Amino acid sequence: MSRLAKSVWIRRASAAGFASLALCCAAQAGSLSASVRQRDGKPLVGAVITLEAQTQTLPAATPVAAIMDQMNLAFVPDVLVIPVHSTVQFPNSDPISHQVYSFSTARKFQLPLYRGRAYPPVMFDQPGVITLGCNIHDNMLAYILVTAAPYFGRTDAAGEWVVTSLPSGKYRLRVWHPLINEPQEVERDIQAGTERESVDLRLTRPLRPAPLTGRPHSWEY
Amino acid sequence: MGILTGKCTFMLCALVACAPAVAPAADWEIELDLRALSSDGRESFLDNGHGKLRFDEDHQGIQLGRLRAALNQPLGEVFSAHVEASRWDANDKNPIDLTEAYVEYRPYPRAGLRTRLRLGAFYPPMSQESRARGWATPYTVTPSAISSWIGEEIRTVGLEGQIDWLGTRAGHRFDLELTAAVSGWNDPAGTMLAAHGFAFSDRQTTLFGRVGAPQPDPALAKKELFHEIDGRPGYYLGVQARYLDRAVLNVLHYDNRADPTAQDPAIRDFAWLTRFDAAALRIETGNGWTALLQALDGATYIAPGGFWLDWKFNSQSALVAKRVGAHMLAARYDEFAVKFHGSSAAPGSEQGHAWAWAYSYDRGEHWRLALEWLRVASNVPARVNVLGESALAVESKLEFSARYSLNGTF
Repeated sequence: MSRLAKSVWIRRASAAGFASLALCCAAQAGSLSASVRQRDGKPLVGAVITLEAQTQTLPAATPVAAIMDQMNLAFVPDVLVIPVHSTVQFPNSDPISHQVYSFSTARKFQLPLYRGRAYPPVMFDQPGVITLGCNIHDNMLAYILVTAAPYFGRTDAAGEWVVTSLPSGKYRLRVWHPLINEPQEVERDIQAGTERESVDLRLTRPLRPAPLTGRPHSWEY
Repeated sequence: MGILTGKCTFMLCALVACAPAVAPAADWEIELDLRALSSDGRESFLDNGHGKLRFDEDHQGIQLGRLRAALNQPLGEVFSAHVEASRWDANDKNPIDLTEAYVEYRPYPRAGLRTRLRLGAFYPPMSQESRARGWATPYTVTPSAISSWIGEEIRTVGLEGQIDWLGTRAGHRFDLELTAAVSGWNDPAGTMLAAHGFAFSDRQTTLFGRVGAPQPDPALAKKELFHEIDGRPGYYLGVQARYLDRAVLNVLHYDNRADPTAQDPAIRDFAWLTRFDAAALRIETGNGWTALLQALDGATYIAPGGFWLDWKFNSQSALVAKRVGAHMLAARYDEFAVKFHGSSAAPGSEQGHAWAWAYSYDRGEHWRLALEWLRVASNVPARVNVLGESALAVESKLEFSARYSLNGTF
């Protein structure tokens, strides 16, 4: 990743709310368990965790062909994490038309009014957070996080994420979630052994309010 | 007739101005809303009375609430045409008539900014209550006094421009929207407020329709409200601020800039100079609660022979609703007042308040069932002078609404 691209990635991610952590794993291959909790102790479900190698060069994860659907006037999923150079197709499963756009720095694009058929996939070749909207339905909001990290994932219902078979070295762990309210970075050294390393993060501020869901069909907005 | 032709021509131009080379599929919707009700309302304002309810005691039992048809036709990539038509009751001038018809230009956002233009006939963006399709309220069956009046007398026939700053699409918590419009063909706006004051009604006056029943005596003929009388365009300016999707604040200043000395013998009405400020705040929580506050303050004037007459009016409304899945309970309180020439005791003046309680159930895509109890207490001096009745009246109704809607594409 170029210095410029990295700088953009860090700035954009910070603007959306970020916590990051540098850690050092043992010389042997190891595994890592990360746990993210909200200020009140409840698990933060669906938080995106990326793990970037600091002491050696590891290639980004293999690009994928992902799908961001539109159902019941909402993007599905609401957050999509993909390796850099991946493609995303935007089918529309609603009976009405949508008009998808992004004016995020990492990828600007627009898909003219459509329903049913999908346009050709959109390529995302720059790391960053892309905010998606529909020009017809302003309540529709979703995010695509494009990462150059070799390892990434999302926390489960318990707020945890586990990665195994990590090559030895030093890694930077970042946490991103659209509702995190505290742009900050935390650095910590952790000595990895043969046991699984664990990282526990706890937010210090409450989350932003989640988007409202479940409006009846007859409501226009 | 010339005026009518002018309004028709304006709207037709608006609808065909952006005719596409290739028209994408259109969305249509048809809706039937039937009511079953019990009412002790005085003779309705819709029948020349001083009752505050759409359905009075002579209109109980099964009634047509609304028959509605809507069409959204994309015109190319960034233009679209929107048409709303309704039938309300036996007093409609036309079997079915338009409540809104406009073309919208909605280009893609650029660098967080989006412009929008609407050309045609539509509602000014001042109601946080009328958020369901067809400018209806989802919270109750009968809208607030403010929304009832807007639906009865106000329509933008003209050009409206908006600029949106889409902060929430750029990592911020706020969006901001500025609106400005130039409009005409609404010079009689204010005449019903002076004639019968505020009312509680979901009936929206259609663009080519009238308020109320036809009368044998043309002097008593009810009004056709969407006419240009003095050739002077009006305007409004508005601001909307949104905090995520949880809170919306609207402020609007409206002035139809009518010449109050002008009159049109063809429709037997003056150009009513109507100005008002309106504000609305809606807050929603993640656990289904909604709080909605609305306020309206303004005045309407005519000056026959240069002698100015003024009616100052104001209304406030507070609504609380709780939604649990498809079920919703709502309670609303309204206050309203009209003061003619500075005297609250003069004919043409009034004051009152109202309570509404409603339960509604949205069953899937097609059905909405709602039950509402509405009680309006009003003090109208004209009841004494014109009807020989007590000025004070308390009217109530219990209304059940069953609405079925179908939609599809062409």
